[in-house]
This record gives sequence, C-alpha cells and structure tokens, in this order.
Amino acid sequence: MKKGAILGIIIIAVAIAMIISIYTDSSTYATFTDAQKTESEIHVVGELNKTKALYYNPTENANYFAFYMLDNNGTECKVVFNGSKPQDFERSEQIVLTGKMVGKEFHASKILMKCPSKYNKDQVEVTESASTNV
Amino acid sequence: MDIQYQGENLLPGQLGQFFIILSFGAALLSCISYCFATRYKEDASWHKIGRIAFFINIIAVIGIGSSLFYIIYNHLFEYHYAWSHSSRTLPVYYIISSFWEGQEGSFWLWMFWQAVLALVVVARGKSWESPVMTTIMLCQTVLASMLIGIEVVGERVGSSPFILLRQALEAPIFSNPNYLSMIADGNGLNPLLQNYWMVIHPPTLFLGFASMVVPFAYGIAGLWQRKYKEWLRPALPWSLFAVMVLGAGIIMGSFWAYEALNFGGFWAWDPVENASIIPWFTLIAAVHVIVAYKNSGHSYFTATFLVLISFVLVIYASFLTRSGVLGETSVHSFTDLGMYWQLVVFNLIFFALMVYFLASRWKELPITKKDEETYSREFWLFIGALILVVACVQIIATTSIPVFNAMFGTKIAPPVNAIAHYNKWQAAFAILVLILSAIAQFLKYKKTTPKIFYANLLASFVVSLVVTGILLYFTKVYTNFIYVLLSFGAVFALVANARILGDAFKGKWKLAGSSVAHIGFALLIIGALVAAATNKVVSLNAGGSIPIAGFEEREKPGENLFLYINQPVEMGGYTITYIGDSIAMPNIYYKVNYERKDEKTGKVIEKFQLTPNAQQNPKMGLIGTPSTRHYITKDIYTIVTSAPKLDDPQEQEHNHEGHDPNEGYEEPTTQLVNIGDTLRYKNGFIVVKGVNRNATLQNMPLANGDLLFALQLEVHAVTGEVYQADPKYLIKNGNSFDFAKDVEEQGLRLRFTKIAPNKGMELMIYQKPLPEKKWIVMKAIEFPYINFFWCGTIIMTIGFVLSIFRRNKELKGKIV
Repeated sequence: MKKGAILGIIIIAVAIAMIISIYTDSSTYATFTDAQKTESEIHVVGELNKTKALYYNPTENANYFAFYMLDNNGTECKVVFNGSKPQDFERSEQIVLTGKMVGKEFHASKILMKCPSKYNKDQVEVTESASTNV
Repeated sequence: MDIQYQGENLLPGQLGQFFIILSFGAALLSCISYCFATRYKEDASWHKIGRIAFFINIIAVIGIGSSLFYIIYNHLFEYHYAWSHSSRTLPVYYIISSFWEGQEGSFWLWMFWQAVLALVVVARGKSWESPVMTTIMLCQTVLASMLIGIEVVGERVGSSPFILLRQALEAPIFSNPNYLSMIADGNGLNPLLQNYWMVIHPPTLFLGFASMVVPFAYGIAGLWQRKYKEWLRPALPWSLFAVMVLGAGIIMGSFWAYEALNFGGFWAWDPVENASIIPWFTLIAAVHVIVAYKNSGHSYFTATFLVLISFVLVIYASFLTRSGVLGETSVHSFTDLGMYWQLVVFNLIFFALMVYFLASRWKELPITKKDEETYSREFWLFIGALILVVACVQIIATTSIPVFNAMFGTKIAPPVNAIAHYNKWQAAFAILVLILSAIAQFLKYKKTTPKIFYANLLASFVVSLVVTGILLYFTKVYTNFIYVLLSFGAVFALVANARILGDAFKGKWKLAGSSVAHIGFALLIIGALVAAATNKVVSLNAGGSIPIAGFEEREKPGENLFLYINQPVEMGGYTITYIGDSIAMPNIYYKVNYERKDEKTGKVIEKFQLTPNAQQNPKMGLIGTPSTRHYITKDIYTIVTSAPKLDDPQEQEHNHEGHDPNEGYEEPTTQLVNIGDTLRYKNGFIVVKGVNRNATLQNMPLANGDLLFALQLEVHAVTGEVYQADPKYLIKNGNSFDFAKDVEEQGLRLRFTKIAPNKGMELMIYQKPLPEKKWIVMKAIEFPYINFFWCGTIIMTIGFVLSIFRRNKELKGKIV
C-alpha cells in the first residue's frame, strides 16, 4: 500500500474522532425546566428579572452573587454564582449561563452577558450643556 | 419640511464620502485594467490605466482616513462614528484607538495596508505586476464596497463611517434645529480598549491579514498564467512576512488580554482569537510545504492549496467576527451592521476564484506520481503540514458551531468548558508538531542514510530527556502525562534546533532563520504550558469570606478576596493591605501593598505595591485593569473586581433641595430623659447636664408669656472629643416649636420635642449612617515562567525575519 493511502486513512480516523469529540463535548441550550432533569452542566439563555433585586454584598462574601433570571420560556429561577458580580450586570440584555441545578437554585459556573452594545442600541443621551440657551 | 440644522460641519463628511466612492471606482477600474493588461500584453495602455487608477485609489484611501481622523480629532459629534467611539475626555493617543474601534475604521485599516503592500508589488513585481494586481485590486474593490453605505435596490451596501448622527438614529431631539448644542459629549471609547496595546495591536494584526492577499494573488496569477512553478518563489518571502506580522499581531492581542482584560490569562480560545489563528496555522503549513516543494518537487498541490485557502480563511475570520453570527458564543465580536450577506458574498467570491483556478488547471499541475522517501525531509515536512491542517480543522469545526446552527437551524451550544476542549486536542497536535520540527532538522532532502540520522538524533534525544527532567522538576508540571509529553516535545525541538543553530555559527548561515524560529516556538509553548498549567489563584479562599451553606463545599472555593482599608490579610504567603486610592479621572488607582515575611524571623524580605486601576464608567459600570508585578520567573497579577461606588457629586446636590429637613439621617430614636441621664449613640454617649430656663433665641425676640427651654447636653465621642449642644423647646401662643441642634462632626441631630411633666423631657436623636469604610474586592493570580512565552514570541519573530532575508536573497540571486 502507498504511504499516501495510509496517511489518508489515519487522517480520516482522526477527523472522525474529532467530530465525535466535538459533539460529545458540545452541550445544548436549555431552559430551567430542562436543567431540573439533568445532572450535567448545560447552557441556559434568558434575561435578568429586573424587577427583583440583585444580591451581592462583598462585605459579607465577595464570592457570592445571586439574582433572578427568566429563561426563554419565562420560567424564573434563582441563580447563584460563585464569584463577584460581573461588571455592568444590571444593564445586561441577555444572559447565557453555564451550570447546573442544585436543589431549587441554579449554580452558574460561568456567566456570559450581552450588554446593549454601542454598536446596536444607540440612545442619545441629552445632557444640558452650557450652550443650550443660544 | 426640511429643517435647517445649526452648527453642523458637513464638509469633512462629504469629502470623506466622495473619497469612498472614488476609492471604490478607482479600485474597480484598476482591477479591470490590470485584468486586460494581463490578457493583452502587447497593449501597454491597459497597464498604464491600471497603475493610474491604483494611484488614485491610494490617494482616495488616504483621503478617507484623513477625513475620518479630522472628524474624530475635532469631536464633531454630528457624525455617528465620532459620537459613538470617542469623547472629549479621551487623550489624543487613544483617539487613534477609537479610530479603529468600529468596524468601518478597521475595514479602512485593512484597505490602507493593502494599498501599501500593493505599492510594493507594483514597484518590484516586474512581469508579475498585472496578474497579481488584478486580484489585489479585486479585494480592494470589495473592501471599499464595505464602506459605501448607500442603498442599491433596497439593500444597503456597506456601512459608511461618515453617516450623520441624525441619519443613524431616530430621536425626538433631531426635530430641534439646534440639537447639536444639546449633545455634550460622545459615548467614549470602551475602557477596555484604553490601553497602549490597543494602539498598535490592531494595525499589526490588520497588516498581517492584509499581507496574506499577496501570496494568494501570486497563487492565482501563477495558475492563471500557467507559470505553475515560478509563482512560488516570490510568494515564499511574502508568506513568511505575513506569518511573521500576523503572529506578532496575535501575540500583541494576548499581551493586551493579559494586561488589560480581566479574564486572567493570555489565551482563552475565544472564537475571535481562533478566527485569527486559523489562517496563521494554514499559512505556516504552506510555508513548510513550499520549501519542501522547492527542494524536492513533491507536494505541489498541497502548497498551492494551503496558500490559497489561507486567504479565504482570513475572509472567513472577518465574516465570523463582523457578521454577528457568533452571537452569544463570544464576548468580543462585533454585532451585525447589516452586512451579513455582503460578507458572505466576499467569502464566496474568493472561494470561487480558488476553486475555479484549481479545477480548471487541475490536469496541468506539476504533481509528482512518485512516492516520497521515508527518510527524507520533504516527507516529514509534508506530515507536519498535514498535522497543522488537522489542528486547524478542529479549531474551525468547534468555532463554527454557531455558523452550523445558522445554516441548518440546529441549536447546538459550544462545549461547556471550551478551554479544556481545545487544549485536549491542540496539546496533542502541538506535541507532534514539536517532535517533527526536531526530527526534520536531521533529515536531508531526497534521501538520508538512516544510520547517520539515528546517530544524530540519539544525542539530541538523550540531552532532551535530561533537560526535560530538570524543567519538570523546577516548574512542577509533572502532574499530568500530556504536560510531560508536551514539555518533552518542546525541549526536544529546542535542543535539536539549537544544534542546527550551532552549525549556523560555523558558517551554514542560511539555516539560522528556521532554527531560530523553531526555538522561539518551542519556548513559547513551554511558557504557555507552564503558565497555564501551574498558575494559581493567590487570593484563593483566604479568609474574609463566610461560606454560604452548601455552596462552597461542592464548588471550587471563591477566588475573590475582600479587603477593608488598612486591614492586612494573609494570602498565599503574602500579607496584603489595601492602603487607599488615588484618582486620576477617569481612572481610580487602588493601592495594594504586598509584603512577604521570613517565616522564622518575621523579617520583611520583600515589599512592593501594586496599583490595579478601575474605571467607574457611567455606561459600563466598574471596569478593572490589572496591575502586575513582574519577576524573571513569575508574574503576580492583581485585579480589582468590585469596589464601592463613587458618590456622584451631582446627585448629592439634588439632596440639598430636599423636602424633608431630616433627609440623610436614619430613623430617629425618641426617649424621655432626666438630668443626669446618659444615652448611647453609635459613636459614643450623650450626658444630660441640665435645663436652661433663661435661654434666648438668636433671631427671635421672646414675647411675654412665651416659654423657652434649652436642654444642655454633652456629647462624648469614643475618640475622646466632647461637644456641647443645646436643642431648644418653645411654647408660643399655646403652640410648641423646637429648634434642633446638630453636632456635624458626629453626624448627630438632637431635637428637644416635648416636656412631659413629672416624667421628663423628650429627646429625639437623629444619626447619619456611619461613613462606610473603604473596601475593595480583588483577585490575584500567580503566573509562573510566563516570560518564556514572551521571549519565545520575540525569538520566533527574529527567526522569521532571518528567513525572509534569506528567501529574498535567493529571489534576487536567481531571478533578477
């Protein structure tokens, strides 16, 4: 057999292994209801419930941050994050959590948030400047 | 009704827009003329038109840049770009960064570099000029179309940086002709980008991206003109240049991430990072295979394919980062500017160009039917390139998950632990590549005698084993088998290439470039491995935190440390004290003292101060920038993750127009007191000394029958100060009034509000909340041996420079 053919077979084998690996490593976007049913870590997409208060009191524990989030079905769940409050969290539009349910709380290991970026949501902030009364 | 707006400076925008159209038209004309010049070589006028149009294009590109810079520099906020990316408070050098914060500015940067590189091609290309410039100008045309921003058949093409604020947004204020006077300031530059690396990282990265078009254009030209072998010669130094610049640009990005971002590391496998490293990998593979082909005649197709696909992948990278397709998987990507399909078309044009020329010339390509010798360098170079390609496929496959979702409507999420996922694969590929880069140096092209090969290899192998052992002992990376293998691979590559470098000193100078670059790469891997594998969070779970029931046992302990001002905390061998801050608007620098004591004698052996800073940005909240203590063998990295909010002076002023005179005080306590009583308050105690029945009021004469009493109080603060206070109580015409007394130093307000006969006097105590003690929450990480990473980068770049000189010399010696 030619070396080229052997190489080809090896590469195809590696490629198959990679694709399997990607799909076993990849997870799914789920809701809190789905999260209740599984033990493994998953992604939950949703938005912050801005009517409820965020809890972060660094004087008590700098590594405990809790808030309420609504998933895409509108289900609400308390989320606990083992770390400090991400910067600008209040202004987030969409949150992607990675983590799992522990009892009735969702313990997030990673929080990714989309903030109203300067590129898509422009709101002109009108401030009074000295020259207003021209 | 048209509104006559006041105070707008429309000229620079109109000029800029004109230059955009001009650059587009000139690039298109140049592309077409060069195309005809290639087909009809006897007619020199096409070539002339092509050149003139190209020069006009350069002038137009410079014109666009100058107009845009003028707008940003002069804070012309009637323009959307200036308003959204800069502000008046921005220092001049960051105005440069705000220039390329937006997509339009970075497209301009790409066009500018492409024009500069094209100038070099025109000057030195000789017979290659026309066909090569055809492709480059095609790309220049597409890039210019990204900036046009006009509607064509209902679809907006491109996004112009010269669009006015009132055209970009809809807001009621634009009905006011004098709206401009109400816009005090722009949105400002994202604080994360206010870092010196952000001034030079984007230009370097885009020079790298832009320079990849040149080897691609040579490849297309070679196939088009059927000069199958000749094109590789000039393409090689260009490829080396692109690899060097792009590599330097990527590493600068990781410098920036390490120094300015808060994720605590230098590489996070973020899709945006991956997008830039993919074409780098393929072009490196291409360089190796081109060298193999030049020396042996093998792997022609692989070399051509890799050169071409690299540039297609550059365009794919810009599709990933600019189209918004990455969505929630990346924190860094741009959101869609409405150019999704335009970017797709950009990709398809160049992909189709590649496929067309490869397919139509397939039968004529000089592909050898012979099998390579196993003991030959070309064979192992080929294998190495294949491994790089497979590594790339893995990165592309995982990074493109959102693209697959968009294409097939699936809803797959990327791996939960992306870093572990990538590391698992890429570590294995890195081991193979490193070992190959050692072995291949001992092989000759065409045929090597196995005996000599093994003899040479054995010595380096043994030395490497010993060095790896020492390295593992000192860096403590022996915990994981893959780490051990990777360390060995890197050391082996280092030792083998050092030996070749030794030969270079004996006179074989032309080998120096590759061995230096390989040594740099090996060092880089060692640095990355050790720093990533053994970095430890110094502020880990060290006191100051109350474990939340059922949480910290299961999860990893917290990584953030809470510090009160002037209260030292022990952490990872250091005594850390937050001693205060200094403000240089808009940044606040938190001073944190580190002290290390000798365990036995208690003597301070080391003392230094770090000043991580944070911007309390009204739009984005607290944004921290780390401060790092650099040692030769390690770095200590510190970042503030939370701090009390600064009082907004404007808000305080509002309070003064308060409606309730007792605003700012806590709920009062009301007590009946008698002479001699002692009362507690937060910061001390109050003694009731007596009642003065003959008190007078300053501004109010007493009428007959009025009764005025003053309660004589002594306020004792815990700190020892004593204050006198005499709140008064007045009965006038049967109505009662009281006159409060403030002890401002203690935040106290005392009111004498009633006299209850035989029971005592009613005293109300108002207290202000105690001024809050200053605090910060910080995170500290130790990165051991990270200097290997930076050193490796520099050495690798030097290696590329040496190689470019060598290949350039060959080019001159043989072709000119």
